[in-house]
Amino acid sequence: MLALLLILIPLITGVAAFFIKNEKSVKTWALVASLATLIVSLWSLMHQDNYHSIFSKEWLPDLGSSFSLGLDGMGRMLTLLTAIAFPVIFIATNKSTYKDSNQFFGLMLLSQAGLMGVFLATDLLLFYFFWELALVPVYFLSSKWGGERRIPVTFKFFIYTFLGSLIMLVGILYVYYINPEKSFSMASLYNYTFGHKAQSILFWMFFLAFAIKMPIFPFHTWQPDTYEQSPTATTMVLSGVMVKMGLFAVVRWLLPLFPEAAHGNDNIVIGLSVVGMIYASCIAMVQDDLKRLVAYSSIAHIGLMCAALFAGNSIGVQGVMVQMFNHGINIIGLWVVVELTERQFGTRKMSELGGIAQKAPALAIMLVIIALANIALPLTNAFVGEFLMFNGLYQFNVWYTVVAGLSIILAAIYTLNMIQKVFYGNTNSITENAVDINWNEKLILAVVVILIFAMGVYPKPMIELTKTSVESLVSAFK
Amino acid sequence: MNVIVLSAVWGVVMMFSGLFIADKSKAKYVAIAGLLVLLVANYFDLHHKFLFASSIGNMLQFESFGMIFVTIALLSTLLYVLLSGAAVEKVGNHAYEYFALLFFVLCGVGIAASYNNLLMLFLGIEIMSIPLYILTGADKRNLKSNEASLKYFLMGSFSTGIMLLGIVLLYGATGTFNLVIPAVSKASENMMVSAGIVLLAIALAFKVSAAPFHFWTPDVYDGAPTVFTSFMATVVKVAGFIAFVRLFENAFGGMTDVWQYTIALIIAATLIAGNITAVFQQSVKRMLAYSSISQAGFMLFAVYSVNAFAKEGILLYAAAYCLATIGIFAVLIKMKDFTFEGFNGLAKQQPLLALLVSIFVLSLAGIPLTAGFLSKYYMVLASIKAGGLLWLIITAMLCAAVSVYYYFRLIQAMYFKEGDANAIDVNPRFKALLVVAAVLIILLGVYPNALLLDWFHIL
Amino acid sequence: MMQPGLYHLLFISAALFFIGVYGFLTRRNLITMLMSVELILNSVNLNFIAFNKYVWPQRLDGVFFTVFVIAIAAAEAAVAIAIIINLYRSHQSIDVENAEELKY
Repeated sequence: MLALLLILIPLITGVAAFFIKNEKSVKTWALVASLATLIVSLWSLMHQDNYHSIFSKEWLPDLGSSFSLGLDGMGRMLTLLTAIAFPVIFIATNKSTYKDSNQFFGLMLLSQAGLMGVFLATDLLLFYFFWELALVPVYFLSSKWGGERRIPVTFKFFIYTFLGSLIMLVGILYVYYINPEKSFSMASLYNYTFGHKAQSILFWMFFLAFAIKMPIFPFHTWQPDTYEQSPTATTMVLSGVMVKMGLFAVVRWLLPLFPEAAHGNDNIVIGLSVVGMIYASCIAMVQDDLKRLVAYSSIAHIGLMCAALFAGNSIGVQGVMVQMFNHGINIIGLWVVVELTERQFGTRKMSELGGIAQKAPALAIMLVIIALANIALPLTNAFVGEFLMFNGLYQFNVWYTVVAGLSIILAAIYTLNMIQKVFYGNTNSITENAVDINWNEKLILAVVVILIFAMGVYPKPMIELTKTSVESLVSAFK
Repeated sequence: MNVIVLSAVWGVVMMFSGLFIADKSKAKYVAIAGLLVLLVANYFDLHHKFLFASSIGNMLQFESFGMIFVTIALLSTLLYVLLSGAAVEKVGNHAYEYFALLFFVLCGVGIAASYNNLLMLFLGIEIMSIPLYILTGADKRNLKSNEASLKYFLMGSFSTGIMLLGIVLLYGATGTFNLVIPAVSKASENMMVSAGIVLLAIALAFKVSAAPFHFWTPDVYDGAPTVFTSFMATVVKVAGFIAFVRLFENAFGGMTDVWQYTIALIIAATLIAGNITAVFQQSVKRMLAYSSISQAGFMLFAVYSVNAFAKEGILLYAAAYCLATIGIFAVLIKMKDFTFEGFNGLAKQQPLLALLVSIFVLSLAGIPLTAGFLSKYYMVLASIKAGGLLWLIITAMLCAAVSVYYYFRLIQAMYFKEGDANAIDVNPRFKALLVVAAVLIILLGVYPNALLLDWFHIL
Repeated sequence: MMQPGLYHLLFISAALFFIGVYGFLTRRNLITMLMSVELILNSVNLNFIAFNKYVWPQRLDGVFFTVFVIAIAAAEAAVAIAIIINLYRSHQSIDVENAEELKY
């Protein structure tokens, strides 16, 4: 029942938001709705029995598909991330004004419903439905409220991901066709072992869609532009939660269904991921635009997670689980800082900023903590995940670890460089009159920072939560 | 049977009521009454209760597949008349005659959906086509309309000739016009049958505008008065597909090796030609013409894979495609400017209309939650069941991604571009009807069984 | 006197068909094009009758089909003439080359 609620609350409140014309009340409405979702999500952590976490209803009997949702450890973790992300985003962007704000918040809530559906669906066709549905609202959000080049950029994003999904759809159809039970349900598909040839074709059909979504080098070209052009609230959704869809789908569908092909192609995938990490880190170093810098650093992080997944040992996969959550928190924190900077100074160019720390010490401290978490310093949350992932990757192959480790060094360089350029140094005409953040913004950044430390110092609950998912995945993979 | 007879009768009634009712704005009410009568008649048809006892000598066969399609066609026509009936009256002075011709087309649709004999196939297709030649040229003062009707006529009658040649070859080899083709033994007869099948396929490909026989479509759809384009591109075109599917399932289902690969090539050509050309269009009306070609490519999957999924799928496709296209055309008729720029900023002036058009467009593009997705899904699934060719399916998917490009241009124009496009003469009733169509599309996309597909098994 | 056989008739019919196709594709005069279409239809009619008489003489299927084809052809011709007259009124010509409003 709770699983259904997690989709229904944002869906219904999202549709309702279209009818609230007053900007102030629609903001409150969206915040209340997202908090309600958060409460349900926390509730689902406490009630882990079948009655609360599984929902199933007949849907398309001719096609062998049913409307079935289920919460497992990984699902709980990601729905929790989604549920935390949205209130944080709504509060952090509270100051931004949007024309037709009712449509903006309605679409935001609808995209949350789509994301929840992706993380909850235990039926492959239903999963595909939500996979697409999460995309459509984001397309509208970015095209309507984005930056100057928003229309072509988001269009490229849409067509890119849509093409990937369509190829996956063909794969889904073949999966259904091959499965003797003629069913899309997860249990039935997990039980069936696909033949060697089928696996090798289907693997790539699915992987393409997920690789575009994550994105993995060389399918990442849509990502920096889209992050840059989207309104910051949407960018937070995209980078904080939506890229996890790709990783999640690899864990939920790709690896358990086609373990043999995944083993066979692990060197290719990990190779691509590692190359992508270095490539993205190098490009991040020469960026002047804050949004693009964060975008490229995100590609590097996702690359590491993907590589650790395909290494296929329990320690690496465990690291990915932890890191999926932590990366979502950290990157939303980074976006909040970017948003605050841009709103105050009207620019995101590092070369035009400087010396903000003198004028806005609170903002600077928060940023430093979040940025250090981004480069996985010990005691921060990302350290736990990255340590586990590197450990897993090391067990797989030493050389990949060495190359991937290089990207950590690069990450340290560009992140510290950014802090130095934006927050230290001398003030200039733009930053002279900077004021510090208000309590509202402090609160939201404090939540992020607390989460960073809490997860960094005491990651055990998160590891416990996802342990069963990791074990079942690794046993399927062996 | 009921529908076939009554639609012809009501066509005559329409013409005569034109004599007695001077006010031409009443024409649409007579037409709506007629359509309601036809729907009742169709209800009896579905339950095999025939109001007219006549010996048809097994030349027509009223199976649930065809009859459910007739229901869809009648409901679509009803929606069409309700939405665009007023526009029909604006085309010229002969409103009653136009509606009468629409009823004659419906008679042809009825025959095409239930023929069991090649003679009936020929008659059905011709009864559908000839009134359309007239309707295409209905705007007599407009040169484009005249030329479109000329072009349509020339292409239509030429394809009729090809179809007749195909029929005559089948007749020469087997001695019957029945759909059940007896086995032939001699090599020469075998060749005649194969040639006949290919010629019939070409003729029907002409009628449903499949590549490489599609070149007339954009010109004719563009030139014809927009109201009639709407009707031609939906009900009539899908009826052509129903005829196509029934012919290839009932008559040639056992000989798939003869024609299946040819159809696959036609599908690929249609999808590529339709989608690629649609990308370069500046006029929404022309874009819709090309989009109808690309949708035809998807519907041809049902012909390629004659099985139960294909039949369910083509019914769903018929409903989804007719609803969405009629809806878009109904809005298009109300616009001043038919180019993409003409839609710039429509969302500001008419938020509801823009939303509805977006739903129709999303359905045509095949985004989940709309009927368009499930119908495309059924088509691809059916072809996989029929041992589908992977390259063909991948081509279809790539083309579907291309189609997003031109469909979304409409959404971009309405929502993201600045402009002051406005629809003229939009009343609440019009909007309410479009809402009904959009809700139906979403219901069909979420839960098609209760609304449509279960009937296929019950009846 | 030699009785014409099936192959004679089929030959004439095929010749008529291709003359029709040729005329349809090469002539620019609308009336001639209409005549070409009629030729195609009539060649098929001849074919029907020939098959009926020589191959399947038991029943009159083919002959009846011919009757229907003639009826439909008449209806088509009526519509076609109307279209051509309409076009002539606006163009003062029945040359298909002049109808070029709809070129891409």
